[in-house]
Amino acid sequence: MNFVAEFLVSAALIVSGIFGFVGSYGLLKLKHTLQRLHAPTKATTLGVGGVLIASMIFFYADTGHISVHELLITLFLFLTAPITANFIAKTHLARNLRRNELPESTGDFGWSVYDDPPETRLDT
Amino acid sequence: MSHEGTLLFLIAVLPFVGALLPGLMIRAGRTVCAVSTAVPTLLALIMLLVLAPAVLRGEVVQANIDWLPQLGLSASFFLDGLGLLFAAMILGVGLLITLYARFYLSGDDPMGQFYTYLLLFQGAMLGIVISDNILLLLIFWELTSLSSFLLIGYWKHLPEGRQGARMALAVTGSGGLAMIAGMLILGSVVGSYNLTDILQAGDAIRASEWYLPALILILLGAFTKSAQFPFHFWLPHAMAAPTPVSAYLHSATMVKAGVFLMARMWPALAGTDAWFYIVATTGLITMVIGALIALFKDDLKALLAFSTVSHLGLLTMLLGFGTEAAAVAAVFHIINHLTFKAALFMTAGIVDHETHTRDIKRLGGLRHLMPVTFLIGTVAALSMAGIPLFNGFLSKEMMLEEASHTDWFGSPYAVPILATIGALLSVAYSFRFVSHVFLGPKREDYPNAPHDPPFGMWAAPAILAFLVIVIGVAPFLAEGIVTAAANAITGADLHPHLKIWHGVTPALWMSIVAVLGGAVLLTLHRPLDRAWISAPRPEAKPMFDGLVAALVAASRWITDISHNGAISRYLAIFTITSVLLGFAAYSGSGLAMPTRGLLGVPPVIAVGWIMLIVATVSIVVMHHYRFRALTLLGIIGLSISAGFAYLSAPDLALTQISVETVTIMLLLLALHFLPKVTPKESAIGLRIRDGIIALAAGGGVGSLAYAFMMRDIETISDYHIDNSYEGGGGTNVVNVILVDFRGYDTYGEIIVLGIAGLVIYALMHALLDGPAAKRLKNTDYSQDRSRDRHPLMMVVVTRVLMPIALVVGLYIFLRGHNQPGGGFVAGLVVAIALLMQYMASGFAWTQERKKIEYHTMIGLGVLVAGLTGIGAWLLGQPFLTSAYTYVHLPPIEEFELATAMLFDLGVFLTVLGAVMLMLYSLSRIARFAGETVNVTPMDYDPGGYVTDEEAER
Repeated sequence: MNFVAEFLVSAALIVSGIFGFVGSYGLLKLKHTLQRLHAPTKATTLGVGGVLIASMIFFYADTGHISVHELLITLFLFLTAPITANFIAKTHLARNLRRNELPESTGDFGWSVYDDPPETRLDT
Repeated sequence: MSHEGTLLFLIAVLPFVGALLPGLMIRAGRTVCAVSTAVPTLLALIMLLVLAPAVLRGEVVQANIDWLPQLGLSASFFLDGLGLLFAAMILGVGLLITLYARFYLSGDDPMGQFYTYLLLFQGAMLGIVISDNILLLLIFWELTSLSSFLLIGYWKHLPEGRQGARMALAVTGSGGLAMIAGMLILGSVVGSYNLTDILQAGDAIRASEWYLPALILILLGAFTKSAQFPFHFWLPHAMAAPTPVSAYLHSATMVKAGVFLMARMWPALAGTDAWFYIVATTGLITMVIGALIALFKDDLKALLAFSTVSHLGLLTMLLGFGTEAAAVAAVFHIINHLTFKAALFMTAGIVDHETHTRDIKRLGGLRHLMPVTFLIGTVAALSMAGIPLFNGFLSKEMMLEEASHTDWFGSPYAVPILATIGALLSVAYSFRFVSHVFLGPKREDYPNAPHDPPFGMWAAPAILAFLVIVIGVAPFLAEGIVTAAANAITGADLHPHLKIWHGVTPALWMSIVAVLGGAVLLTLHRPLDRAWISAPRPEAKPMFDGLVAALVAASRWITDISHNGAISRYLAIFTITSVLLGFAAYSGSGLAMPTRGLLGVPPVIAVGWIMLIVATVSIVVMHHYRFRALTLLGIIGLSISAGFAYLSAPDLALTQISVETVTIMLLLLALHFLPKVTPKESAIGLRIRDGIIALAAGGGVGSLAYAFMMRDIETISDYHIDNSYEGGGGTNVVNVILVDFRGYDTYGEIIVLGIAGLVIYALMHALLDGPAAKRLKNTDYSQDRSRDRHPLMMVVVTRVLMPIALVVGLYIFLRGHNQPGGGFVAGLVVAIALLMQYMASGFAWTQERKKIEYHTMIGLGVLVAGLTGIGAWLLGQPFLTSAYTYVHLPPIEEFELATAMLFDLGVFLTVLGAVMLMLYSLSRIARFAGETVNVTPMDYDPGGYVTDEEAER
């Protein structure tokens, strides 16, 4: 493996390590659930992403083949992480806050956690 | 099998086949029903008569079909003189009873049932007397207990009937259990379970140190069946049965089975002091006590019941004497007792039927109203009393003759005196039967105006009474069968001569004393009866009930201790037992020296291990908080999966991950309806106990695994690895083991899984009918619920993921035979894909879009797997043998096709069906708890909502 590849792999791993650490530290340090929701996003995006980039470079340099597993992992992460965060936030709202503790939503239909969804056309 | 053997086999089978008829034929009317009962009986009787001449010449007819030769059990029958005598009695009286019952049973009684039970019982009795294998004999023995239970309890509406039937079953059944033990001892002493062999080996048996235990156990069976003191009490209580049943069971069959057994076992067991003192003494006591009680019974049938007890005692005593002359007397008395006692029971039944009472104190003077019945009853009763020219006299003389020269513990007088007293009492109650029922002035206060019954009803007892007189006047007519039976019992070549006049012998004097004394006793009956009633007597029923109650209490105590309904108790018992067994095995043989060294621990693995430990300890500490416990469970599951992957078990890792995922999802759903916190249910002491058990068990399993891994042990794994590719056609050994080597196990497992799914479904059904349903209805689950139950993002993502997940499932399924994967994992992956749809859009919405019922899927899976297995039969291979071949289709690489894949498809379908059915069951709770059904896949469809402009238009 040449020096450039090694350097890139190392750099990506260090970046991922730093963000992984920041994410974990934030999870411990931050006080409220909604704040805490913020920290692990660093770990899941840049943290895991760094490892995946490192892995792709490593296998390309090592075997000459482009490895696509990592892209699939990225896809799944991008799909699942927002859903998870969304659900944690919803659960937090539903369990710990009442409707009147929140400001008015500026959208058309109010808060989805508290207000009924708008009427839906059945024919579509 | 010889021609005769086939006949014998048919005789044994006919009643059981015939038992199918009456229940059906009752629809054609009562007479047809009775005829359909009589036909198989008559056929069997005719076949028996065909065999009779050969048997009377001294031949033995045999039939043999191997049944379970490994156990020494064969369906083998033989017919000798004794068997012929009893079989003829059973079938002959069976016919008469069929006739009598046709007229006795009223229109309200289910006659088809009665005749079916009767034929079943008849078949069981026949089986006992012609079995040539003691194990087979035991089966028939227990069958008589069971079928007599049905017969005695035939009038289900009468509590006496039910209790009497239970008592008879309990007493004779437990005697039968003792007999099983005795027979097994006998079989192992002789080394064969064939009666013919056992009867030849009498000397070896009597010399064996196991003789006494075997004797006592077998006699327990015989005594309980034949109602010998102190087990006599069940017989009178069985009188709650309809009279035809009593007449059949207590004259010719059931109670004679014990006598038959003693006679049958005579060559093997008799001839020792133990035999004489146990059997003869029991018989003597029973004879006297039975006769004494009979004298003071006012119920006609109770009188006859105790007289039966007394006569059975007489037979037992004769067999107990152990002499050949006594055996002849016993055989003769068996015949005589059958004729007069069956006739008497039927007479009692007629009296009861006509006057609507069996109370002797309310009867009398029936001679004028029922002359035919009077004649039959008197003939039979005089025979029972032992009056000359009736057959009872002959065998009673022979009995007294034998008793007159029997020493008992050195005393020459004990047996003759007691035997005379027994005979005297017998005369007294027989005379009472005649004089208090038929003689005396006509009364006006019968509950029902009596008259003679129709011919059909008195025909059967009349035939028997006729036999009483014929044998009484011309006893030589019975000589043939008596000789054959007595020879079969004793194994000797006897030529007895049955005569009326024996000259002036001690027996004659004893007989005269008995008749005169009996007559005197009857004149004194009134004052004696008063004394008897005022005297304290032990009552059998309360004692029996008390004993049963005590046994029930003891059983309940044991059950309550071991099965108190707390699963922690069961687990504790099970775990402690396992640990103790393991410890016993360990301390029994010790351990060889370890042959392997420890491997180093890589730091990453150490971290994973520590996480596992921390999660486990945390779950112990926090298990009261269920959601937290569930989260920790997920961590443990994933750590274990990682451990599997690390230890080169990718199949296990895959399975573990998917099982974990499904489990956590289902548990989460279930937890929604359960309390979120487990209350502290056990006290501190119990928790310490459980902790100690857990540590011991965990430590034991841990050290066991450690011990195994430190040593090179030859296991079956090498065989599997060597043969996986060549034998099973797959390179993934785990999968080949599952679908091929241990395919049968897997087949059983998927069936269990399917059953589990169905059981959960059924339990949920029950749950929603029970008290839990009320709580569900009354709990408001909507408080902690978000208004958007089916968020758009979730719905879209699960839709996107679904095809991917299905492809992954298919991929895992297809490669399973050669790479990690297989039907089980694939089933779980697809189940997860579907679970996600259900979670995203709600159960009902998704349910509408599925085409196959999950129940069907489970059944289909089991069916596919089973058919694959059966397919091997078509090629002459054993069940579940797999075949494989390689196929080349142009666009793709060469691939393998194995029947194992079809089997795996079955596994796949069952797993999928079971998981989804569990989900369905949980969702039913949700619907029950008030969850509404959504019609749209998501709460808010940005392209589908009604805008203000549209609403205005």
